Amino acid sequence: MGQSFSGIFNRLWGVNKEIRILILGLDGAGKTTILYRLQLGTVVTTKPTIGFNVETLKYNNLTLNIWDLGGQTSIRPYWRCYYNNTAGIIFVVDSTDRERMDVACQELHTMLKEEELQESALLVFANKQDQPKAMTAAEVSKVLDLTELKDRSWSIVASSAIKGEGLTEGLDWLMDVIKDEQLQ
Amino acid sequence: MSTLSYKKLDAYSTSGDLPDKMSVFQKCLQEFNASPINAKKCRQLLAMLLRLIYNGQAFPSQESTTLFFSISKLFQHKDESLRQLVYLTTKELAATSQDILMVTASIMKDIQQGDMIYKPNAIRTLSKILDATTVSASERLLKNAIVDKNPIISSSALISSYHLLPIAKDVVKRLTNETLETIQSTKYFPPNQYQLHDYYATNNTNLPSTSFMYQYHALGLIYHLRKHDKMALMKLITSLSENNSSSLKNSLAVIQLIRYINRILADDEGMINVLYPILSSFLKHKSDMVELEACKTLIGYQHLLKDDQFMQIIGTLQKLSSVPRTATRFAAIRLINRIAFKHPEKIMVVSTELEDLIEDSNRSISTLAITTLLKTMGAGSIESSSGVDGGENVDRLIAKMTSLMDEITEDFKIVIIEAIENLALKFPSKYKRLVKFLNDLLRDDGTLELKTSIVGALFDLLKFLPDAEAKELILMNMCEFIEDCEFTELTVRILFTLGEEGPLTSKPSYYIRHIYNRLVLENAIIRSAAVVSLSKFAIQCGGEVSDNIRILLTRCLNDSDDEVRDRAALAVKFLDSKQKKLLVADTQFDLGALERKLTNYLNDEANFNVQFDISEIPIITKEELKSLEYQKKINRLDQPVHETVSDEEIGDNNNKKNKSTESGENSDSATNELLKQQEYANELSTIPEIAEYGILTKSSSTPIYLTEKENEFVVNVVKHWFIDSGKLVLQYNITNTLPRSVLEDITVIVQSDNESYVEEFVIPLDKLGPDQTGTVYVSFSIPSITEEDSDILCAFGNTVAYTNKDIVDDDGTVDSEGWSDEYQIDDLEVEAGDFITPLYNSNFTSVFDQLPNAVTSVVAVSNCRTIENAVTKLKTILNMMPLDGSDFVSSDTKNHQLRLLGKDTWGGKVASQIRLAETGGKVVAKFEVRSETSNLGTYILNGSF
Ligand SMILES: Nc1nc2c(ncn2[C@@H]2O[C@H](COP(=O)(O)OP(=O)(O)O)[C@@H](O)[C@H]2O)c(=O)[nH]1
Ligand SMILES: [Mg+2]
Repeated sequence: MGQSFSGIFNRLWGVNKEIRILILGLDGAGKTTILYRLQLGTVVTTKPTIGFNVETLKYNNLTLNIWDLGGQTSIRPYWRCYYNNTAGIIFVVDSTDRERMDVACQELHTMLKEEELQESALLVFANKQDQPKAMTAAEVSKVLDLTELKDRSWSIVASSAIKGEGLTEGLDWLMDVIKDEQLQ
Repeated sequence: MSTLSYKKLDAYSTSGDLPDKMSVFQKCLQEFNASPINAKKCRQLLAMLLRLIYNGQAFPSQESTTLFFSISKLFQHKDESLRQLVYLTTKELAATSQDILMVTASIMKDIQQGDMIYKPNAIRTLSKILDATTVSASERLLKNAIVDKNPIISSSALISSYHLLPIAKDVVKRLTNETLETIQSTKYFPPNQYQLHDYYATNNTNLPSTSFMYQYHALGLIYHLRKHDKMALMKLITSLSENNSSSLKNSLAVIQLIRYINRILADDEGMINVLYPILSSFLKHKSDMVELEACKTLIGYQHLLKDDQFMQIIGTLQKLSSVPRTATRFAAIRLINRIAFKHPEKIMVVSTELEDLIEDSNRSISTLAITTLLKTMGAGSIESSSGVDGGENVDRLIAKMTSLMDEITEDFKIVIIEAIENLALKFPSKYKRLVKFLNDLLRDDGTLELKTSIVGALFDLLKFLPDAEAKELILMNMCEFIEDCEFTELTVRILFTLGEEGPLTSKPSYYIRHIYNRLVLENAIIRSAAVVSLSKFAIQCGGEVSDNIRILLTRCLNDSDDEVRDRAALAVKFLDSKQKKLLVADTQFDLGALERKLTNYLNDEANFNVQFDISEIPIITKEELKSLEYQKKINRLDQPVHETVSDEEIGDNNNKKNKSTESGENSDSATNELLKQQEYANELSTIPEIAEYGILTKSSSTPIYLTEKENEFVVNVVKHWFIDSGKLVLQYNITNTLPRSVLEDITVIVQSDNESYVEEFVIPLDKLGPDQTGTVYVSFSIPSITEEDSDILCAFGNTVAYTNKDIVDDDGTVDSEGWSDEYQIDDLEVEAGDFITPLYNSNFTSVFDQLPNAVTSVVAVSNCRTIENAVTKLKTILNMMPLDGSDFVSSDTKNHQLRLLGKDTWGGKVASQIRLAETGGKVVAKFEVRSETSNLGTYILNGSF
């Protein structure tokens, strides 16, 4: 009995199926820190990511396949090699880096135009909120022109990877959206 | 499913048809991009992909890159075997793919994390992925991996660092301490090492707990970091060979150590005193490979060893030549054979073993045993002067060879034929038996290749044996041979040789008859060769013979073949007009030069406006040609297996190029010297000032180094002599080895100690970047030899002057401010040998006796402890050819006579007869020099020895 019930659940939910998530954003935004904070629950010391990190983690019974792609200018062109099959995008912004906000905005919108990402949900982390000069989530949302986005589920969450704040909240939202969309 | 189709689908199969490249490519993209990933399928696909690649199927850059990126997606899967295959494939694709940096972070993470089975794979792949900009990020990782207690991880890090040397020498240098620590450490395989493979899991007793292989890898790396620092290298060598060399447990590492010792010795033989004890300690080792390597190295320096030291080597080889392992026996006999080239008398003690080895079941070994024994026969003849005749031995050996000949393949026969030829050349007294052996062999069945090699050997003997009787014996046998020879080309060659040599013999008519038979019996090609051959008899023998041949030739005018008729008509015409030169040539063009000039000429149609100038091609007399051929033969004889000290400079193209030309020279030095000479002539003629000097008479053969080879600047020099116009051009080749400096306005300040050498001009060098080589030319007018009181010997002091500018950043930007500096390098000497080239003649005494200008003198040969050393030194300094085997010195002798012959740059012959005597570790030489050019003898004796 129990077996067949969980069988239906799995089929619907695809426990066997992995959910592909990309973490993107400019270099130094905190992508790698977020990835390992989610996976290990601790803050690791990072070096600029030459290439990508990929980790599999269980989140609320789901298998997530999370790709953290390096953000340096030289690596951004290769993001697109990894777009295929992506259920959700986490775009991380360093909320203290006002100077590069427009670069971040540009990269975000260029990426969202990609054919392969039309179905993917977008979660933006306005990261480094622990810093005094950080812009608020609302301010970040505004400079990133998020309200312009049509036909896409998106959300912005204030976060601090160092303190571990906002991450679960954001991820919960993303999972819900993905679940919804897959059930339809 | 039938077995056949099942096999076809086996992804891991290594035999059978290759899978289709495009379909593997498509399936890879499909599976690698899938979500979730099917690890098993991906593994199989990667295996197929690897098989394609290992079989030489390359993917073009774009496809390779696509594959590369799709494979990078497999990093999401944790399957260990899959990850290993990912690494193997990534490593292969790295060379052809773009943007491979994308996997850097993932690889580094694998290396940082615990003790994964694929960690070594990750490390090795990393070195293929990194470039100069990213390599520093891996420094920490490599450091940790090198000192890792797992020997496999350590090894892979060491190898990877080695491969990183060309792109990041600085970073790798910082790994020195870790590497040194590793050489002397003891690391054991992890406990699960053998559980990973089914085979070992069931079979796990007596498995080694370590192989110490990392010692070998660490040593290889440290050598590359230290090789330019001789002191540091010596320290390393002594520390590793202390305590009876117990710190190196890996035999490959010990062998490598021996090779490094060899390189030091190659650079500086004076180190032998320090290094001999280390080398000799390896003559007794538990590994036969180590023992062989030690023997091999020591044999390379046999001239520096004392007799008892040498006997130790022989003792080890003696032991090794009777071990069960075939490869070891083979290596041992090869080394014994190598000793025999120079010192056959020293291996007389193992002749019993050698005779046993003739019966060895391995044919390579038995053949080598024979050729080696043949050489000791030669040595026997030297001793036979004191009464003991080696004849009995030779007979016994020939009997053994004859019976062996039936059993071995032609390849081995050819080796033996060459050995016999060489022996007969070096020790003419033995020729009779050997020529008979060759003649008998010629009569047996054999392929063209075998017969060619026998005929070739006989031709050489014909050319170089002084004895007229020997010549006739060979010629007569050849006549017999062509009576029944199925190979047209051989018959043609023999007919040619009969035409060359036959007329000079005592009974030309014998040969004429045999040649005539060919005219009647053979095909058109042979008939035309016979016509030419006969015409040579006719023009040289004269009288009745000539008339008779003319009649024969006239008959040929009716031959059915055009070529035969044409040649006959031509011959008759020349005979009637007594054009001897057109029938018998005593000179020929330098064919190498002719070919090169013709190619140049034909390559550019613009040249066709002017007629090809044949007068520019040097003409070689028969005598000179013979010298060249003899030198070539003897060189081959003296350098059996030439072991170049190959100092692999990874990433250093410059050096690689040098190396390949060097080894090229070894293979055929005489021809190459000629080619080199022409190259120089071409190069120099492009410089207008020097082109005016006309024909280049002679260039010194190998560049002379005026600095250590690991200096900041490496300078070597070549002397170019233009005797007709009385000029000397010094070509200084300067290499800037400073990594961060650019040299500008480089010139060489040359001071001569002979005021008859007057500097005319200098062609300086504008600029020399790091690792670049450039040339400065300095030209002098030189004294004439014919004037009384002039002195042609000279020494030049050399100083390099330049402006030094630092490179201030990584883009190679040069500091605008520089400073000028001078750098003194070694002196250069002009020696008598500069004006002489070696010359061959089979009759030294008659040449010597006929030369007009004689001088004598007694000198002590400095820095020579043995007669053998002195012989080598004299023949090099004087640049003359040792004749009558007089450069062979029996090791126990105290007296020796050296006979040298040469041709000077003014066209005359020069001969020296030198009596050498050794007393109390000193060698004294009594010179008798005779020359066609007056004064030359005096200059020879004025030189420093
Ligand atoms: N103060 C603060 N620093 C952070 C936060 N997240 C990341 N960082 C720091 O930002 C730097 C770059 O982080 P990293 O994860 O490597 O950024 P990535 O290039 O996007 O992967 C590191 O020094 C992190 O410690 C955060 O929330 N607050
Ligand atoms: Mg990162």
